[in-house]
Amino acid sequence: MRAILAITTALMLAAGSLLTATPSNAQSKGEIVIGVQCDRTGPTQIVGTVLCPGFHDYVALVNSKGGVEGYTIKALEIDHEYKVPPGIEAYERHKKEGAVTMAVYGTPHIYAMAAKLTEDRIPGTSPGFGSAAAADGIRYPYIFPIAATYWSQGTAAVDFVKKQLGGSLKGKKIAYLFYDNPAGREPIEVLEDLATREGFQLKTFAVPPPGVEMGAQVLDIAQRFKADFVIGHLFGGAPSVSIKELKRVGYPLRKFVSFVWGAGEANIEGAGGFAAAEGYYCMQFAGVGTDYPVLNEIREMYKKQGKPAPKEMASTVFYNRGVLIGALHVEAIRNAVKAKGSGKITGEDAKKGFEKISNFTLGGLVPPLKITNTDHEGGGLVQIWQVKDGKFVKVTDWYAAYQDVVAKHIKEAGAKK
Amino acid sequence: MSEDLGFFFLLMSNGLLIGLMYSLIALGFVLVYKATDAINFAQGEFVMIAGFVAAGVLMVWGAPLWLAVLLAIGSLVAFGFVLERVMLRKLIGRPVIAVVMATIGLASILRGLGPFTIFSGTKPLPLPIRDEPFMLGPLFIPPIQILGAGVSLAFLAGFGWFFLRSRKGIAMRAVADNQQVAMAMGIDVERYFGVAWAMTGMVSALGGILWGNLLGVDVNLALVGFKVFPVVILGGLDSIPGAIIGGLIVGVVENIAAGYVDPLVGGGTKDFAPYVLMILALMIRPYGIFGKRIIERV
Amino acid sequence: MIQRECGVLKTTYEADMGLYPLPIARWTVAAIAVLFFLVIPLTLHEYFLSVANLVWIAIIGALGLNILVGYTGQVSIGHGAFMSVGAYTAANLANRLGSPWPVNLLAGGLMAALIGAIVGIPSLRIKGLYLAIATLAGQLIIEWTINHVTFISGGVQASIEVARPRLGPWILSSQREMYYFLLVFVVLAIIGVMNLMRTRVGRAFIAIRDQDIAAEIIGINIFRYKLLAFAISSFYAGVTGVLYTYFLGIANYEQFQIGVSIDYLAMIIIGGLGSVLGSIFGAIFVTLLPIVIRYSMEAFGGIFFSQQTVLNLIPNLRLMLFGALIIFFLIVEPEGLNRLWRNIRSYFRVWPFAY
Repeated sequence: MRAILAITTALMLAAGSLLTATPSNAQSKGEIVIGVQCDRTGPTQIVGTVLCPGFHDYVALVNSKGGVEGYTIKALEIDHEYKVPPGIEAYERHKKEGAVTMAVYGTPHIYAMAAKLTEDRIPGTSPGFGSAAAADGIRYPYIFPIAATYWSQGTAAVDFVKKQLGGSLKGKKIAYLFYDNPAGREPIEVLEDLATREGFQLKTFAVPPPGVEMGAQVLDIAQRFKADFVIGHLFGGAPSVSIKELKRVGYPLRKFVSFVWGAGEANIEGAGGFAAAEGYYCMQFAGVGTDYPVLNEIREMYKKQGKPAPKEMASTVFYNRGVLIGALHVEAIRNAVKAKGSGKITGEDAKKGFEKISNFTLGGLVPPLKITNTDHEGGGLVQIWQVKDGKFVKVTDWYAAYQDVVAKHIKEAGAKK
Repeated sequence: MSEDLGFFFLLMSNGLLIGLMYSLIALGFVLVYKATDAINFAQGEFVMIAGFVAAGVLMVWGAPLWLAVLLAIGSLVAFGFVLERVMLRKLIGRPVIAVVMATIGLASILRGLGPFTIFSGTKPLPLPIRDEPFMLGPLFIPPIQILGAGVSLAFLAGFGWFFLRSRKGIAMRAVADNQQVAMAMGIDVERYFGVAWAMTGMVSALGGILWGNLLGVDVNLALVGFKVFPVVILGGLDSIPGAIIGGLIVGVVENIAAGYVDPLVGGGTKDFAPYVLMILALMIRPYGIFGKRIIERV
Repeated sequence: MIQRECGVLKTTYEADMGLYPLPIARWTVAAIAVLFFLVIPLTLHEYFLSVANLVWIAIIGALGLNILVGYTGQVSIGHGAFMSVGAYTAANLANRLGSPWPVNLLAGGLMAALIGAIVGIPSLRIKGLYLAIATLAGQLIIEWTINHVTFISGGVQASIEVARPRLGPWILSSQREMYYFLLVFVVLAIIGVMNLMRTRVGRAFIAIRDQDIAAEIIGINIFRYKLLAFAISSFYAGVTGVLYTYFLGIANYEQFQIGVSIDYLAMIIIGGLGSVLGSIFGAIFVTLLPIVIRYSMEAFGGIFFSQQTVLNLIPNLRLMLFGALIIFFLIVEPEGLNRLWRNIRSYFRVWPFAY
């Protein structure tokens, strides 16, 4: 009993002292804080463990080159295990540390923080996830998708399919294989619109969580519906399963295009490696591969420190996305600092900084986004890559399609509220 | 054969085969419950950690497959023994819910341990079998599922023999039936608890290797644990043939739901259809199809 | 709760069942009230208040689950789903009818109570693990329904924005305002449970938990009381969901998934089943533990590892430590933190003389 008592008292004391001991003070002169939420644990950790190092490496690179106009950037990371309450705690902690921008991670999280971000006037980013309607900069002034939303991904996918099927979709059959959660269902309305417009037959195939098996859906696609092309929108481990299952029923992978979260090296590895996934098309919102000047600079930076380049760099899809997110945050801060001239920048300044981003491409890693105060998405640009001969090969350059349809839906969503 | 009928048979065969793969995971759960009355909410994580060990040995060390399988089985068996000794033995006689919570805690540990010590990210777990299916008339039979079904049935036969014929197996049944009486008859109850957990470890190891091949190995492999509950409830918590039958039922129901209900409701009913069936079954036969008829109803 | 006494002399049942076991208890409660209503909110930074707010929400939910699991002896892995029922009821009412928050709060609670009672129906026939799995099925079915019925979810995104609660002209939005808003309900919830357990209903619950057959023989209608337990527990869950919705300004079912149900179960088991103080301790423990672990890792981790390694280590270590501590507490003190607290109290009561 006494031992337990001693241990618990010690634990409580430790806890108490830690909670009261305020961590390093916010934003000393010359430091600008970015709040980074991350998921190195939890269901989507295969993304987080690679994406977040990319973010940090870019910030380190900027700092090693003298920072932003003399300011050092500090990226504070908190892991939330893809749970919402820890995400809220992380947000408040970042706010306390004086963060001027927030890199939110997770669709439920951006929803949970939407009201707070607006009230606190701190811009938060939701690259490649979250609500597509948030592209509307008037209705959601402080949320920045900064990458193609699920609506834009949907329209881009249809456009790609159209080109693959010879320029016309009339009478074709397209299957939409999606993870049965709000994020997975979001593009359906856009796809249905396009189906009437282009005259193709759309059939949706839901993969309910946990998505460890989809034999029936894939059999249906290949044998009953006999789809001409499949658009896939899956998360976590499900993309790997879809690749395996499609192969198992003999459906050619070169008739499959995946949304951005089924497009990483990890998804291909999970399906048995690049040789097994030959032909698989996937969509990217950041450049893929190691051949970008900014990545060379990061490697150079590590070399100078006498360290090997981090192993995360080998997983280029998610790592490069981390670099992209980091770069856009830093760029927004740079714009804000320049506009402000002197003095500390605030979240509001950073918001305007985001809205000035245009033609910032980092040598092709970042699409030529044009973010304005009405369009927080920046154009909905994606690239399509294909698994070929053991690596990702670029198939299309940055493009967006049917943006009028996306705009119509954004408008409708705005009118509903 | 009309096309519709052909598709129906495709769904059925797929359901039966995937169902046997579910049984493989459910078997581990049933073994522990049968022998020790403990409910293992970390069954999915057992499978996951086995996958991590096998994929780690195979892909990180580059060792041959037989060594990976051997090490996965060995480490999981050892893990089962150790776990029983350091954790579950201390919880004997505690309320059911305490054991449930302890295994939830264990699940949390394992989810951290895999990526922390073995590797982070996703690794494939290649087996020397091909992806392309065998064609049996109109049916596609994927090799991995044949292997999975074979392993499940082999376990069924093996455990059937073990529990009915071997001395240890009979002792374990005695322990499961009544711990006090078993103890009075000179059976070392705690030792058999350890054996039960070790056996679960062995089943989980093979489950981890087969499912790891199907899904790739990362923490998401643990999600297969969710498939366990309808399987064991339908089959009966303490019945080994029940785990097999329950798996078959769940597999078939899922496929029928996905093939014929989904188009009507426009959403994925596949994963909760077994749960609905399970609730109905619970109202009619609270102890499952093959479960022990201790009527714990009210 | 925490006062010391030097002997017990009670001559009536009323005195024994009183909310304040001793006159001095009133002073303790008053002191606690001053601490939580004045000292903490007026001195601490908003960040700490936001953490406190998460704790307050967790406390209400845990109290509700404890009514069902701790006091009535039923098991539920569907608590999160009942919260989402409350959340969506309130959000729909607020947006479609524009009703004020007190109405929505009550309606959310009542709707959750109704759904909870329906999910609880299998409890009349099964118990233990089977019941747990049946409620798990309830959780999945509710999630599925919200996800697919756009009438409830308000669109495929399944999230409905809700305006901040207002009190006359005063709009509650900052963490400090939320702190008071939530704390009031925490107090009401605590008083509610403490009083409930002193009534005929509460005693019936406990009787069912302890020996259901005996309870039936002495004339307790098991059918009614079990469903009542589910309903009251779900009412608490529904209210929690509504408060969470107003706290975030949005209802989104992905915030109430199976993991949340398990977290709440963890809270009451670690805290102590069938105890108000236990629910509170459990809610605090489960909410704060990851935060405390992270703070200590940040403070000490840098000594041993490089920054990048720490970032990779913290989350996984936190997961492992969280699990290990749960197991540790279960093994060391099966009756939870509440029991541990009482042991500490009785230790100090007779200190320095051990016996």
